[in-house]
Amino acid sequence: MGDFLHSFFDIHQILHVLPTLLGEGLRNTLIIASLSLLLGLTAGLLLSMLLIATRWWLRAPARIYVDIFRGLPAIVTVSIIGIGLPSADIRPFGESPMGYAILAIGLINAAYIAEIFRSGIQSVPVGQMEAGRSLGMSHLTTLMLIVVPQGIRNVLPALANQFIIAVKESSLVYLLGLAVGERELYFIAQQAQAVSYNSSSFVAAGLVYIAFTVPLTHLVNRFDRRMREGKRPTVADEPVGKEPLTPVGAGMEAGA
Amino acid sequence: MEQTAIDDAKPRQRGGDRPVEPAVELLDICKSFGKVDVLKGVSATVVPGETVCLIGASGSGKSTLLRCINLLSPPTSGTIRVHGQVITAPKVDLNAVRSRIGMVFQHFNLFPHKSALDNITVALRRVRRMSRQEAEERALAQLEKVGLRSLASSRPGSLSGGQQQRVAIARSLAMEPDIMLFDEATSALDPELVKGVLDVMRDLATSSGMTMVVVTHEMNFAREVSDRVLFMDSGVIAEEGPARQLLADPQTPRLRSFLSQVL
Repeated sequence: MGDFLHSFFDIHQILHVLPTLLGEGLRNTLIIASLSLLLGLTAGLLLSMLLIATRWWLRAPARIYVDIFRGLPAIVTVSIIGIGLPSADIRPFGESPMGYAILAIGLINAAYIAEIFRSGIQSVPVGQMEAGRSLGMSHLTTLMLIVVPQGIRNVLPALANQFIIAVKESSLVYLLGLAVGERELYFIAQQAQAVSYNSSSFVAAGLVYIAFTVPLTHLVNRFDRRMREGKRPTVADEPVGKEPLTPVGAGMEAGA
Repeated sequence: MEQTAIDDAKPRQRGGDRPVEPAVELLDICKSFGKVDVLKGVSATVVPGETVCLIGASGSGKSTLLRCINLLSPPTSGTIRVHGQVITAPKVDLNAVRSRIGMVFQHFNLFPHKSALDNITVALRRVRRMSRQEAEERALAQLEKVGLRSLASSRPGSLSGGQQQRVAIARSLAMEPDIMLFDEATSALDPELVKGVLDVMRDLATSSGMTMVVVTHEMNFAREVSDRVLFMDSGVIAEEGPARQLLADPQTPRLRSFLSQVL
């Protein structure tokens, strides 16, 4: 039992590695997660528009992209982009692996986010598009001003969830070998373990992940619940008895 | 058709005996959804200022016919003219055509994420290219006309169905359309909210001289407000005529049996 505690919960080891984890590690993890999410949101929104296009030649490339990046294990994508590109002398981000890591995780995010947006947009009743079109607005204008804002609102919880996934996937960057200063949580823990042969640094990194992701998950769930409960009444359960606020037909005389 | 319309007592903007250019002309309209033929060759004319009610059982094709007029459901074949312009021709600027034809839906279809005011201003700004101030002034004026100016900043979700439908009517009217289409505008409303909406529509037909095509189950509205009634059955116009005459003295067994069920 003493061995077990020592291997995983060595307080000295944890305290030793924690400052680096919280300073350098958490910062870089959040940078990778946020920037890759930003890339994922932008590309994902574009892809979702293509996914719902009526023309097959717009739909097909987006579908293929989403299938590939959702189908590949994240570690393969990170390797292909982070190791493959520089070794093929394609170095848009120079020598630092950060850029490649953000690109790789961003591209994966884009595939998942595209599907999230697509389902959100398709959950908006078709009458919304019809109302916009009947007023003379173009398909694109109605999509951007009427349909997409409602669709995004429907999928905010799913998007927040995707951010949590991005936080965890950012650990795959360790594959690419980060320099001091750009290390994220997992890489710091792994290096500390390699020196000490003690797994407590992994536990410490895990605690930092959990301290961030668990509250975020609950925040998202609470937000999701509030959205559901506070959902505006639909046609079926509209508030009856509000009408007398303005007498029926009021303004008819004034309006005539 | 012109002849029958003259029988009606209601005054309307017409140029004496001169033939008036129709507001809407439907020529042999057919519409199929897959293998189902919903419209089987419908021809009809609506003159400016006229209110025409489309009645018939559900599935008879009346809503589909209405949705053909602004090409929300483009017909499979046939020709539609709106104020002389063939809108079923290729390369027609559909957005321009639709911006002159207002449509009111059974389920209102207000934009739930926008206030009543913004529901009205969005198309004024995007389609009519108005400034914010100009659009808001016109929107408020329209809300005033439907008696809802005080609720301009409310979201649709906090309005009753009747109020929502009146906002939807104001949204269409703000575009200053030549023609208004109503697709069962009161069918989704609780009975006590129907009157407020019908009053707005009645006022529009009688005082404003709007050209209106109204799909409705409200036979009293059809009788009192409309100039002509078209009875649709199985994708064709089975009978048509001046409202009072048609509803009081149906000629076809099909209309007789329909009226006996709804009246």
